[in-house]
Amino acid sequence: MLSIQFGHMPEAIFDTATFFRNVYLDAWLDDPLAKRMIKSVDKSEVLGERLIRSRALGLIPPTDLSGGVKTLLLIYNMPERVFNASTCGDNCAYWILEIARRQDITINLRHIMNFGRGRFSIKVLNTGEVAHSMAELVPMAIDHLRDGMEIDRELERTDLREDPILRVPPGAMPAIQRDDIAFGGDRL
Amino acid sequence: MRGTHQVIVRNNRVQFKFEVSRNITIIRGDSATGKTTLIGMIADYERNGAASGIELFCDVPCVILEGPRWKRDLSFIHGSIVFVDEGNAFTSSHDFARAVRDSDNYYVIATRESLFSLPYSVSEVYGIRNSGRSSSRYPQVSRLYSTFYQIYDPSPSAPFIPELVVVEDSNAGFEFFSELFSRVGIPCVSAGGKGNVCRTVKDASEQSILVIADGAAFGPEMEGATSLGAYKRVRLFLPESFEWLVLNSGLIGGSDVADALANPSDHIESRDFFSWERFFTAFLVGKTRGTYLQYEKRALNPAYLQDHEMGAIKGEMPKDIGVSL
Repeated sequence: MLSIQFGHMPEAIFDTATFFRNVYLDAWLDDPLAKRMIKSVDKSEVLGERLIRSRALGLIPPTDLSGGVKTLLLIYNMPERVFNASTCGDNCAYWILEIARRQDITINLRHIMNFGRGRFSIKVLNTGEVAHSMAELVPMAIDHLRDGMEIDRELERTDLREDPILRVPPGAMPAIQRDDIAFGGDRL
Repeated sequence: MRGTHQVIVRNNRVQFKFEVSRNITIIRGDSATGKTTLIGMIADYERNGAASGIELFCDVPCVILEGPRWKRDLSFIHGSIVFVDEGNAFTSSHDFARAVRDSDNYYVIATRESLFSLPYSVSEVYGIRNSGRSSSRYPQVSRLYSTFYQIYDPSPSAPFIPELVVVEDSNAGFEFFSELFSRVGIPCVSAGGKGNVCRTVKDASEQSILVIADGAAFGPEMEGATSLGAYKRVRLFLPESFEWLVLNSGLIGGSDVADALANPSDHIESRDFFSWERFFTAFLVGKTRGTYLQYEKRALNPAYLQDHEMGAIKGEMPKDIGVSL
């Protein structure tokens, strides 16, 4: 079962690349599912526990895998932890669902991941409800992506009426009339 | 900083080539497309220059920002393109947004998170596409070429008749569109700010909805807005801003207007304008001051609702909104 917490979640591991670099085990890459994920997402082939052949980068160590694959490997091998899965692109979504078919996992998302057109079961921890499709998941995501974030009204101000650069003295609005001089040229 | 700046970063295995033309550029998209590789190469070049084995071509410095001392480091960076990789939590902070707002740098940020405090444009959200290989001067090594592509491509769609129009703001732009659509019997509501647009669309009972918002700052909301297409028909009309529409309509003459519209990045200083919508608003206010078209954000000058003026602005709207307006 996949559970998602949308929004800011302090207990989630945010920088998954750094966490992976310090906790991964060689044996993680010897797993069939891990090899399939690396092949699918990174278009790379696992040659051994410490060596991968990357189509783009040549021969690389596990620490040079993509951020998305590192996060998938963390989710798969450490299901007791919660990881920031916004380090994963949509091309990782299938594999998150695949991992969740094998074990209960919880991820933190700060964006709307596309889990595809199929049916699924995802529990949204923000509401306690279970979504079975993107049509059900998207409204909950929209409502809760900002959970845990403080709103800074001054920064998010889109009402520019009080912006001094734009202020026009009250009563200065001219009468409505079409003035041909206003058209063309630089006389404005 | 102003202007458009081309960046080429390459080593023997990969080349990235792209342009940066606004203060905030977002890189996201699928995993394993090279975002971290790009930023890692810039970091290597910043440390060791040409001795890193990397070639970097740009008319302004390209630097990396990371870690807990980002604020101190940024205080020493000016007139540069600043690259920030995902994994840096400060990018979603208000402190970082203020630093960007008051800065003379451009920023390229790798993140999938919607940075709601930053007003980035829908047209400055990019993915990276690897477009094939060719041989370098070392025949045994072929270089992968990577380019940026816009994730949100506003291509014309099939004719669309909305049941409801949702306008981002509650000021002059809303007054204009409210009057425009009332003449053809289509209700128009204000979302009261870009942060409320997605929720307004989600909660509306109508199924075919036209959203009108300022594209220059709507970037953080695009993921929600496009995701709503999973269960509603949502058409997005995202001009830079309402003021940009007015300037484009031909109502305001002058060679400086044409030049500003053709080459906005050359005119917009990042330190003065957090987003291009603010520039176009200030520009329009200045150009119309003292004329019958005097523009004020808080209340629409009724002159803009006259048939000729309304028709000129309406002419800038996409034709696939299949309503006889």
